[in-house]
Amino acid sequence: MNEFQEKLVNFKWVEPKKTYDVIIIGGGGHGLATAYYLATRHNITNVAVLERNYIGGGNSGRNTTVIRSNYGIPEAVRFYQRSVELYQTLEDETERWIMHAQKGILWMAHGETAVRAEKARAEINTAFGAKTVFVTPKEIKEICPEVDLTGGGVWPIMGGSYHPEAATARHDRVNWALAEGAMKRGVHVHQNTAVTNLIKSGNRVIGVETTAGPMHANVVMSAVGGHVTGLAALAGLRLPIRTHPLQAFVTNHYEQKFHPIVASTSLLTYVSQTARGEMLIGAEIDRQPSYSYRSGHHFLQTCAHRAMTMLPFLRQLRILRQWTGVCDMSPDYSPIMGFTGVDGFVLTTGWGTWGFKAIPAGGEQMAQLIATGETPELIAPFALDRFAQDRTMADRGSAGTH
Amino acid sequence: MRLIVDGRPISYEPGDSLLIALLRADIQPTGGGCLCLGGDCANCLATVDGVSYVRTCQTAAKPGTVVQLHHTQKYPPLPQEDEARPAVPARNLFSDVVIIGAGEAGRTAAREAEAAGKSINLLDATYGEEAIGIYPGPLVVVRTPHETLHVHAQDEIIVATGAAEILPIVPGSELAGLLTRRAAEKLAQAGLDLGRVVAIGTPPAAVDCQLAAGELLRFEGENGRLHTVITQTEAGQENRYACDTAVLNLGLHPRNALLRMGHNLPVRAVGDAALESDIPACPNEGVVCPCEGVSVADLETIWEQGFHEMELVKRATLAGTGTCQGSTCLPYLRSFLLKKGKTLQPSFTARPVTRQLTVGEVSAGTHHHATARTALDAEHRRLGAQMERSGGWWRPWSYGDPDGEYWAVREAVSLMDVSTLGKMIVSGPDALEFLERLYPTKVSTIKDGRSRYVLLLNERGYVFDDGLICKESDTRYSLTFTSGGVSHAEMWLRDWAASWQMDVHILHQTMSLGAINVTGPLTKQLLAKAGLANPPGWLAHTKAEVAGVPCHIFRLSFTGELSFELHHPAEDSVKLWRALLEWGQEFGIRPHGLHTLLRLRLEKGHIIVGQDTDFDSTPRRIHHDWAVKLEKPAFIGRHAVERTNKIPLDKLLVGLEMADGPAPMEGAVIWHDGQFAGHITSSAWSPVLHKAVMLGWLHYFDGHLPETVTIDGRSARRVPVPFYDKEAARARA
Amino acid sequence: MPALKRIAATRIVAQPQVLDSADVPQSSLALRFAADELFVTPPLQDETIITAHDPHAILIREGGFAGIWLPAEEAALFLARNCEWEIPNGRPAFAQGAVASIPTKLWLEDEQVLFIVPAPYAHDFAERMQD
Ligand SMILES: Cc1cc2nc3c(=O)[nH]c(=O)nc-3n(C[C@H](O)[C@H](O)[C@H](O)COP(=O)(O)OP(=O)(O)OC[C@H]3O[C@@H](n4cnc5c(N)ncnc54)[C@H](O)[C@@H]3O)c2cc1C
Ligand code: FES
Repeated sequence: MNEFQEKLVNFKWVEPKKTYDVIIIGGGGHGLATAYYLATRHNITNVAVLERNYIGGGNSGRNTTVIRSNYGIPEAVRFYQRSVELYQTLEDETERWIMHAQKGILWMAHGETAVRAEKARAEINTAFGAKTVFVTPKEIKEICPEVDLTGGGVWPIMGGSYHPEAATARHDRVNWALAEGAMKRGVHVHQNTAVTNLIKSGNRVIGVETTAGPMHANVVMSAVGGHVTGLAALAGLRLPIRTHPLQAFVTNHYEQKFHPIVASTSLLTYVSQTARGEMLIGAEIDRQPSYSYRSGHHFLQTCAHRAMTMLPFLRQLRILRQWTGVCDMSPDYSPIMGFTGVDGFVLTTGWGTWGFKAIPAGGEQMAQLIATGETPELIAPFALDRFAQDRTMADRGSAGTH
Repeated sequence: MRLIVDGRPISYEPGDSLLIALLRADIQPTGGGCLCLGGDCANCLATVDGVSYVRTCQTAAKPGTVVQLHHTQKYPPLPQEDEARPAVPARNLFSDVVIIGAGEAGRTAAREAEAAGKSINLLDATYGEEAIGIYPGPLVVVRTPHETLHVHAQDEIIVATGAAEILPIVPGSELAGLLTRRAAEKLAQAGLDLGRVVAIGTPPAAVDCQLAAGELLRFEGENGRLHTVITQTEAGQENRYACDTAVLNLGLHPRNALLRMGHNLPVRAVGDAALESDIPACPNEGVVCPCEGVSVADLETIWEQGFHEMELVKRATLAGTGTCQGSTCLPYLRSFLLKKGKTLQPSFTARPVTRQLTVGEVSAGTHHHATARTALDAEHRRLGAQMERSGGWWRPWSYGDPDGEYWAVREAVSLMDVSTLGKMIVSGPDALEFLERLYPTKVSTIKDGRSRYVLLLNERGYVFDDGLICKESDTRYSLTFTSGGVSHAEMWLRDWAASWQMDVHILHQTMSLGAINVTGPLTKQLLAKAGLANPPGWLAHTKAEVAGVPCHIFRLSFTGELSFELHHPAEDSVKLWRALLEWGQEFGIRPHGLHTLLRLRLEKGHIIVGQDTDFDSTPRRIHHDWAVKLEKPAFIGRHAVERTNKIPLDKLLVGLEMADGPAPMEGAVIWHDGQFAGHITSSAWSPVLHKAVMLGWLHYFDGHLPETVTIDGRSARRVPVPFYDKEAARARA
Repeated sequence: MPALKRIAATRIVAQPQVLDSADVPQSSLALRFAADELFVTPPLQDETIITAHDPHAILIREGGFAGIWLPAEEAALFLARNCEWEIPNGRPAFAQGAVASIPTKLWLEDEQVLFIVPAPYAHDFAERMQD
């Protein structure tokens, strides 16, 4: 047995019922977390999570697991900071090992304008409860001795921001801890159960058609990362969402040595080392919208090259595997959570390339929304109708990656 | 001919792979495990010339090769490296058909393709060509020791990679002395002494061996070396076979990862690669996944915990995620799950890379984004400018004396290279109609020879670029855009022209024209000296020669001082720049960089799209409602602007000045009564006003904009812009 | 470093059919960048060969491109290393696309190849040729 084998989680699979209080479509992190917080915070357990494949098989099991709150607008900093904090205690709360590791993220600036942006990031973060400081090249070298400050002679590093609370966790284990925690309290999780249609009565969604038959509920929530436009269309909604592939790759396992997460907006790449010693490298979304899970060579080639520019030691590492997820991108780089204008149908989407870190807070807040019938203050800015109301949440701090 | 293994020289014979050389010296690279010699197992890995995870069976022995046996117990260390360039060059190859694998099936496919008149590329790992993945294109990427090949297929890709031999996982499988049947044949052929050999299943050809009867149970050994094979007969009786080498023939599973990752691409498999996998019996004990150390008992536990899907079992145990990518464990995982769940689950998703290559090798053939240089780039560098990447260009940030540069503009005369400005020409019968639909201004009211500042809106009514429309004639206009925005704007124009079927020609001339802004109170004197006696009036433009260079001269001002923008053929930039600098000497001329420009324009309250605007900047929010003519029947963004204008404003881009003290940094948060009230987008100390001036987003509180706010813990107040020269007397002088 | 030189040319945007039948002097090199776009070097002496047929045509004196001739063999090696698309077989031939990640136009003759790139990228292109 290796030290990373799952030893604690125990799933109890059961047969589906015909009706539930709440049906959650999509067994990714957000669907599972919502079920978990409904059960643990609101004692609502007559809940089903319907997953068309296996739980965590979507983006929640494909991401690069960066957890951080160094965003660019107050609403986002507050929300993600809540999530960062929930993550810090999730292990104790669920009594499951999610491999949460605080690493700190360094965000490199390669020019005057980028320096200005990282200084601004530090300022807005500090103002709203996230710890971020501006660091000089010398300080960067102290935090991460492997960095080449000349940027391969092409992208010299002139400074950066450092956000010490940034962390990573093992994605699968987060999904499983939440699923198990919910199931233990009576929530049903049904795998291999795809929702094929919504059952409506007037302007109200009252249930779902699934590959395992129809099921009814008072509230139906969509948490189908990567596929929301199709599902929302069944409810008669048109969402301002475009789906883009996002790719990442890992190298083989090496000795655990590289501590922080290193990112650069100009080079559009970020690097960390996993607990197992793989170097994990990601980038920005593919430009072309698509639902394709196919991996690309251009991505691998250019992303490898850019990452090596910051961290030359990567050059000699052998690549093990690359993969792709599909991301629901909102136009303002902020999530969309809450009521939809269709009764009985709520959604959590627009998680783009940044939704893993948001799993606990997103689930907590959506559970509260479902339980109370009211939008919690923390997520009110992220309501769907902000687009119609000209109250978009443009967030440059999101960077469109991790 | 010698290799250096962990610092010790060993000799080898011509034609040896590294593995065979090591085995001759009685070294098993990872200490044990069944060797396949087919590039499939993870039992022959070593660090070779600094690169770890190299399959020594696939690597030719060369004099002086440095081998480190890192893989015996722990993970190899992270290497040191300073170079950040691709490790090898790329080479692109093109043919109708690409065949991967030059075994019998591959050679047959090659002959067939050639007979059909197709051009082919036939690749094989034994020639050092390891296909690492199939990608859209269709493209096969191939690692070789000296190059990374990008092999493009016109018609199809044929996967003829054969099948891998199933490895044993029963207890004792980690001992040295285990070989697959093919491995045994290869080693015998290379003249290695295998000692006493016991064969399980079909014996290897040309190797003397004893056949073991019954089902394989376990191996036993001493000091990591095999000495006995133990099998069990149907009657349950154990047989023991003493030996030095055990040769196993447990079945085949196709090497079809390339095929699977190429699904929906024109890829097919031939030969053994097209086989269905044998599903070996999963023993009751043993290590299923040696890469990740997962035993049969671990699988049992995980199954009991409720992990039943192949993908979940893989993720929960990590079986299959090791360096051999499941080559050893996959058949057993499927077998285990079949036994437990009564259905044969498919293999997990095949993802590149199938054979491994380094970060430095995969980046072969790529380059960083090129950064454009204006025709004056060398001039700036010669003058000692600090260069900054901006909008895709290298631009002078400052020539070392920002204050001197600033005062040259305000008090004398200065130059700035603005060649990066986006420039296009639109010409044709529909030119006016086209521009009316694109821009929110009334283009029809621009007179011949005049220009106007304009915004570009998207369908959401948000500002995404700005620039000028300069009328040349009823059917011809020159347009300018921001340096960073022009590529997007070009697509925007072309897309709309095509959608609306406009009869217009569009020419993008950013790179064709240089542009120099001559600015400062003494500008007219300088231009007169350079031969321009009658410069155009405010917001007019004209064509004339300056210093012998044909120029299109625009009168406008971003710096707040008298300014003329000289657009000219890029090849004449240096001549024009040098002449102006020389003739300007008597007026105290010096060039200025972006840093100074940003400060000058801030004093004038001019916005920079992208810096001061945001994704959601409606014209109203940035005080540019005047630039939008809602009485025009149709233009892009009109509906959105009309709709959002009815919604109460939440925030506004405003001018602010500090009561005292230095300029806060850009991005600083604005507070009002202890509440968040917005942030600063532009900020600078104004030498001419002796105070810090800013632009920033300020939020409304109960329908009112605060008059005084706190920034940086200090007091600031909202003031109208421009901060300096409100009547624009200087610019219009 | 290999020296790319600015090319003196005329760039024309006009009706495709006008460009199809334009009477460009035999001695000049005329490259069709797009259906409605033609690049002629040395610069056109007589612009009326276009404007007479398309009064709205845009013709500019074009110095925004830089070029270099390479012997065919050297060019082939550089392209094999840096060009992800297949070069046409016939000669002479015109082709365009990314070469070394820079937008490039190729004029291929039997013995030599002309590489043309936007002059602002000439510096980076030359560096990449040297690699
Ligand atoms: C390569 C990559 C790297 C990333 N890196 C980071 C990072 O570092 N940090 C970060 O915070 N975020 C990151 N993200 C983003 C993050 O992974 C996602 O935002 C997040 O996982 C979204 O979770 P989710 O629950 O909304 O969606 P998912 O996890 O995608 O779950 C949706 C589920 O819905 C199921 N489903 C779909 N349709 C149906 C249907 N009709 N019926 C039933 N089930 C259905 C799917 O099978 C899927 O399991 C990354 C994403 C990718 C792809
Ligand atoms: S044996 Fe290598 S991954 Fe399982």
